[in-house]
Amino acid sequence: MSAERTKKRSMAVEIWQRLLRNKMAMLGLVILVALALSAVFADVIADYDTKVVAQNISERLQGPSAAHWFGTDEFGRDIFARIVHGGRVSLVVGLISVSVSLLVGGSLGAFAGFYGGRVDNVIMRVMDVFLAVPSILLAITIVAALGTNLVNVMLAIGVSNTPNFARIVRAAVMGVKDQEFVESARAIGTSNTEIIFREILPNCMAPIIVQSTLSVASAILSTASLSFIGLGVQPPDPEWGAMLSSGRNFLRDAMHLTLFPGLAIVVTILALNLLGDGLRDALDPRLKQ
Amino acid sequence: MAEKQYCIDIKDLAVKFTTMDGVVHAINGVDLKIEKGKTLGLVGETGAGKTTTALSILRLIPNPPGEITSGTIVLEEKNIFEYTEKEMEAIRGKQVSMIFQDPMTSLNPVMTVGDQIAEVIQLHENVDAKGALEKAKEMLEMVGIPGNRAGEYPHQFSGGMKQRVIIAMALVCNPHLLIADEPTTALDVTIQAQVLDLMQKLKEKYGTSMLMITHDLGIVAEVCDEVSIMYAGRIVEHGTLEDIFNRTSHPYTEGLFGSLPNIEKREEELKPIPGLMPDPTNLPAGCPFHPRCVYCQEICKSRVPAQTHLSDTHTVACLAYEEGTGVSLGGKHS
Amino acid sequence: MHKYVIKRLLMLIPVIVGVSFLVFFIMSLAPGDTARMILGDDAPIEAVEALREELGLNDPVLVRYAHYMLDLLHGDLGTSYKSNRPVFSEIAARFPATFRLSFWGMLFAVALSIPIGIISATRQYSIADSISMVLALLGVATPNFWLGLMLIIAFSLNLRWFPSGGAEGWKSLVLPVITLGTGCMANITRTTRSSMLEVIRQDYIRTAKAKGVSHSKVINKHALKNALIPVVTVIGLQFGALLGGAVLTEAVFAWPGLGTYLVNSIKAKDTPAVLGCVIIFSICFSIVNLGVDLLYAYIDPRIKSKYK
Repeated sequence: MSAERTKKRSMAVEIWQRLLRNKMAMLGLVILVALALSAVFADVIADYDTKVVAQNISERLQGPSAAHWFGTDEFGRDIFARIVHGGRVSLVVGLISVSVSLLVGGSLGAFAGFYGGRVDNVIMRVMDVFLAVPSILLAITIVAALGTNLVNVMLAIGVSNTPNFARIVRAAVMGVKDQEFVESARAIGTSNTEIIFREILPNCMAPIIVQSTLSVASAILSTASLSFIGLGVQPPDPEWGAMLSSGRNFLRDAMHLTLFPGLAIVVTILALNLLGDGLRDALDPRLKQ
Repeated sequence: MAEKQYCIDIKDLAVKFTTMDGVVHAINGVDLKIEKGKTLGLVGETGAGKTTTALSILRLIPNPPGEITSGTIVLEEKNIFEYTEKEMEAIRGKQVSMIFQDPMTSLNPVMTVGDQIAEVIQLHENVDAKGALEKAKEMLEMVGIPGNRAGEYPHQFSGGMKQRVIIAMALVCNPHLLIADEPTTALDVTIQAQVLDLMQKLKEKYGTSMLMITHDLGIVAEVCDEVSIMYAGRIVEHGTLEDIFNRTSHPYTEGLFGSLPNIEKREEELKPIPGLMPDPTNLPAGCPFHPRCVYCQEICKSRVPAQTHLSDTHTVACLAYEEGTGVSLGGKHS
Repeated sequence: MHKYVIKRLLMLIPVIVGVSFLVFFIMSLAPGDTARMILGDDAPIEAVEALREELGLNDPVLVRYAHYMLDLLHGDLGTSYKSNRPVFSEIAARFPATFRLSFWGMLFAVALSIPIGIISATRQYSIADSISMVLALLGVATPNFWLGLMLIIAFSLNLRWFPSGGAEGWKSLVLPVITLGTGCMANITRTTRSSMLEVIRQDYIRTAKAKGVSHSKVINKHALKNALIPVVTVIGLQFGALLGGAVLTEAVFAWPGLGTYLVNSIKAKDTPAVLGCVIIFSICFSIVNLGVDLLYAYIDPRIKSKYK
């Protein structure tokens, strides 16, 4: 048992070392850590009530300056402060919605892959139907039906990503379910559920981790998209997509209103994709040349 | 004795690969000659540099990471390193062709087998598409596949059939030299015999010279005229079939035979060669075989053995055969 | 092959039924009283109740769905609450604009991405490769609506080369097409490159070289067709993203298509219109996927022979 644990740990160390050698992945990780820290300490960086939502008409539409790094918006609010707080929204929505997809889609995929046959058929045909709706449209539909608030946005994005997780986990489970350690667990009378969650899933982590990282990126993009067309976070709360939406009225004279929130999205998604790609290479070195 | 005519003459070939883990010295000064119409067996373990040698003859070492650092390969009186890439293309598949180890992956999955054979013909002979396809069908018949299957795709054939297709592709332009890289390793034993038989027949019919790469001494005994034993990118022993089988000289060759079971003396223990091939990024100093050699002496760890001529046909690279080294092979050989 | 096509066409039916039910079901979860919404707050309760009955709003969701699907078979997607016109004709009027945008967007993406991907793969680690890979990474990370806004600032407001909105003439198509296509282009470029890199290391490529096939022919004839197999899959998947992206692109450029109609209908809580739009989008996506699968079978004989 302890030998196995050491083996697992040394494998984790090896993966980590491979990841450390990948400069692009490290760049992504550093950016993400910075974003996460700024999200956690958002209130220290800028007070929500006085800096982020309070209007200050006398300072409206100012360009970038020492006092306002990214300038101010049409209500005189500091764009940097709003981006920092908006990042908190993006990261929270990204993480929670992906957790929803992972939990629901992952379980469905695990059951489908493990039991096969009719269970598999029913689950995967239902997933096919979900996949037949372009995912952002599915999210739009759900929010349109349930109403625009943050919880519904997370739910909508979570649901629309669910089939992807179901597919990936199913494929991974099918790959390991016939291996000997599963057979031996079954031989000593372990229950099916226990086998799935204790024996099989821990051995399918590689594709799940990669998919989760990349899904957080797409969830953040979806959140911004929904907010941009008015179906996500509502003003005056800060959110990158919503900021772009209101900034577009000032494209000619105050492009910093749209430039900086957009850059925030690009940098965040880029960082997640870099890390995701790096993780994929590190977890499956076979794929790299 | 009349001057022998060589189909190919390789001298002092060296190839290295630069990888993330270091520089791999895959081939370190290899000499090989094949007389016209004869078959040379190139024998060694996986990783000894056999395939790299073969690919060098076609100038198909992937570069980067591979690089031919020294040597000449004279193909019919001309050093192939003097050819342009365009001239080389005219040689590949025409003068020299190659049969690869794994028939399952060596055919293009999205082209019909007929088209794949016809492509070689069209590249090297002055025929139109229709004529080429006709000839491809004839060639398929010759390797024992009905010509009407030319329109099928590789996945519709079994492993043995695929290897026949590859043989057809390799021989269709009557090459002067055929390189066969473990052509039967991936096949079932019964199919192996059929394929070898087919290759032998076609080779004799066209008078082709052949380089047979293998690690199977049984195949060597069956098809080869001469044998070169390769270890860690060097030829350690070379001779005729009789030289190698009856006058085995190098401890490594001896080890190869010792690893074979003997049906008549089953009580006799197998004598596998201890240890593994050395890490090619970090070859040992001296004789590359010394860490695994049961006769190893201090001098073997520092001095690289030269080629010693035991007879007109038989050479060996082992310090035991060099004067004044003090290395002996346990009195077994003088 | 005919059998395969027919089989795939038949498989489309359950998907369309499933998708329309899914969307119908989601929309039926919407809170609020549709009849009340149509008639306004001042209408008497009796009138609202009568309308509910008339619209069949009191029936269980499955019954309502059955009615909806029967109507759909006759080309009837219900009546818009907002305009009181048939949703079908509203959609039919806007569909061509969205089709045009998506078609050119995809063409732009495919036409550029595949050559770039091939060049990147065949000159791995060259400067051209590095530049295109950095651009592709950025392309994947850039939200298309933001790219659209940036393009408007640069090419419409400053350079005045193209209009910032509307759908008049080919010039109005340029910015929306780039906006819509860039993300797909970036994704397809990355897939083409990695697929090509994988293929050119295969044994059969070595076989082709050993036959004397020239370098360019090895790439364009032997490698490309094999490399395209995963690329076609990604193109199919990207079409879904493209249709979703069309909604946002249309919102940026005030493009008079289905996407704009969808967003406006959502804001007006015009349920039949929303339902119609999403179902039409999904059916389009399913049909495109069918086309992709057929293309797939055309490229890869291994798939084709499975359905013989």
